[in-house]
Amino acid sequence: MQGLARWFMAATAALVAATGSAAAQVKELRIGYQPSPIQDASIAMFEAWGARNGVKIVKVPNSYGVYVEKMTASLTSNADQYDVIWHNDDWGQTWAHLLEPMDDVEANKFADKWSMAPVVFANAQGQNTVVPMGQTFSVFFYRSDLVKPEEVPKTLAELVTASKKLQADGKVKFGYVAGMAMNHTWFSWLWSMWGNNCDVLLPAYERDNKKLAEAGWKSGLTEPCMQQTVEYWWDAINTHKIAPRGMPAYDRNEANAIFMSGDAAFTVADTLWWGTFNDPAKSKIAGKIAAARFPLGPNRTRPFAWDDIWGWAIPKSIAPERKKLAKQMLEAMMLDEEGQMKLWKATGAPPPNTSFWPKIAEQDQFMKLLKESVLDSPDKVRGAYYFPQWPAVHKAFNDAVTRAVTGRREDIARALAEGAPLVSKAAQ
Amino acid sequence: MFGEQQRFVLLLIAPAALLLLLFQVVPIVIGANASFRDWALYNPRKTWIGFDHYVAVISDPAFLYVVLPNTFLFMVLSVAGALVVGLALALLLNRPFRGQKLVQTILLVPLMVAPVIAAIMIRWIFNDQFGIVNVVLEAIGLDGQPWLVQRWSAFGIILLTDIWLWTPWFTLLLLAGLQSLPKEPFEAAAIDGTTTWRVFRFLTLPMLRPVIVVCVVIRAIDAFRTFDIVWTLTGGGPGRSTELFSLYAYVHAFLNLDLGRGSAAAIIGGLIILVIGVVLYRLVDRIAKA
Repeated sequence: MQGLARWFMAATAALVAATGSAAAQVKELRIGYQPSPIQDASIAMFEAWGARNGVKIVKVPNSYGVYVEKMTASLTSNADQYDVIWHNDDWGQTWAHLLEPMDDVEANKFADKWSMAPVVFANAQGQNTVVPMGQTFSVFFYRSDLVKPEEVPKTLAELVTASKKLQADGKVKFGYVAGMAMNHTWFSWLWSMWGNNCDVLLPAYERDNKKLAEAGWKSGLTEPCMQQTVEYWWDAINTHKIAPRGMPAYDRNEANAIFMSGDAAFTVADTLWWGTFNDPAKSKIAGKIAAARFPLGPNRTRPFAWDDIWGWAIPKSIAPERKKLAKQMLEAMMLDEEGQMKLWKATGAPPPNTSFWPKIAEQDQFMKLLKESVLDSPDKVRGAYYFPQWPAVHKAFNDAVTRAVTGRREDIARALAEGAPLVSKAAQ
Repeated sequence: MFGEQQRFVLLLIAPAALLLLLFQVVPIVIGANASFRDWALYNPRKTWIGFDHYVAVISDPAFLYVVLPNTFLFMVLSVAGALVVGLALALLLNRPFRGQKLVQTILLVPLMVAPVIAAIMIRWIFNDQFGIVNVVLEAIGLDGQPWLVQRWSAFGIILLTDIWLWTPWFTLLLLAGLQSLPKEPFEAAAIDGTTTWRVFRFLTLPMLRPVIVVCVVIRAIDAFRTFDIVWTLTGGGPGRSTELFSLYAYVHAFLNLDLGRGSAAAIIGGLIILVIGVVLYRLVDRIAKA
């Protein structure tokens, strides 16, 4: 019996020693991400760093459809599953208290200040919780072989006129196509709403939660500008027929498929699709695309830009030595000029280090356009709200506008009025 | 305390009981606990709030007037549809013909397709721009339709997908039932010169009734909790017009990250299906005794 006990103690000691030494010398970092061109390009930088430093980068892909819920469950259960995770402005405040502060990542000084604002990514103590992966925002794409730069629609009304002309000339089947269903709201509803001085909650463009609370989390659905926006899309689909009738149910993949097949002249999509749109293996319109500012509605005259980032974060619950190593990797990624140039070329998403932007803009017309019209724009809009109930608000908003646009035109005001209290309630 | 035989029996059922306890009972208990608490997935404060979540769910007009009617309608129509088509196919396959085994194998294919894959496939089949359905309609001079934009066409596609997926299951079980029926009554009916319809109506159907009822009970309970095909095909849309009970619970728990409210919705759904299950089992019992 004593022999057995001695054997057990020796085995335990060996196990503890082995664990301790493994902890002291971390040789592996696990990345929780969603496969997409920008994340793949960013992880390629991690892998290059890992190869140089003898650290194995373990990629753990997650489906976009379940990413937030799965990662939230992982973060709140303190599971030791990931060392670095994909982070997004939409979840900035939902996860802020569960993430490691990143104020000591020195290379963050090169990140874009607007996108890294405390309202988006700071925790309750005011500490930043993200390292940027790249700028992710949408622009108005058009077919450069069909539309000259001076002919690009500057207003929503001009978008109808230009589309109808191209359709009448037999150049395209549709003028405009983009995602419209839940979680693809940005590509039709949100940009056209912002371009008409409208927003999901009031006051428009406000993202300070205190001010939104003071306003009673009032929904913008009953504003005249919102009714105009919904009526615009109803007419675009049913009266002018410049957009497909199926568009209210489209996700971004279905809409992009129509644009890439050459059936539509205009779309709104994230800039990181630039690479895919221009890939001859995937797109019939490769090399025939340009981008411009968003067309504006009747209530707005000043152009606006929407600018956000995707980023990387570190779960608070992982061991200190893993955090340290993960930060070293992120620091190196932020300074990796060659890797960021590759990220730009592969995706069309401006890389996370702003000091590389002027150099890219000198060599690349598309970056020059993004820099002028979005990155350096004084009139920026944030693409989400920054409180934990935002997903519920987003869904309530999309439910209401979808119901309005798929019903009868004369019922639009009623559908929006019925949806407004649900949006306000979801926010509280 | 236990005899040798009893201990042996307990030993045999222990692994299954343990798995059931860990992966069924414990999660239900945790879910039930969450349903009485302020339990956001991103910040589980877990403070006791009593029946607040239950009151919120059963007083939610969307739950009462959209979700529950959709769920019951889906349950009735999908089970009835798959039963009718499955029975028809089983009757056809019950007669010997050349290539019968091949046809039988082909008919079973939908059973082997993961529901999510099937739903993605159907979504593209009914895509208004690239889908084969609209291509065919336009080829014969009809207008293509935006199938997933209107409530009832979207609901119809969900039903069609579910019926397509589950018909082989009905076919398989009903065919087994048909092949186990005694031959004598059918031979007697043939000697009397009874019509095919009367044979089906007064012999096949009554004798097959216990099998049909068991199939319907199992499938009805399963249909009540359908999630994957609806989530993939419509996400409950357009708006919330095709939302079923399981999506309602999922959206609250995992999209809005409110595990407490989602769990309360799931428990309410569980209670509803429990009542339906008891009623259906009593029906089975009555039919079996008859």
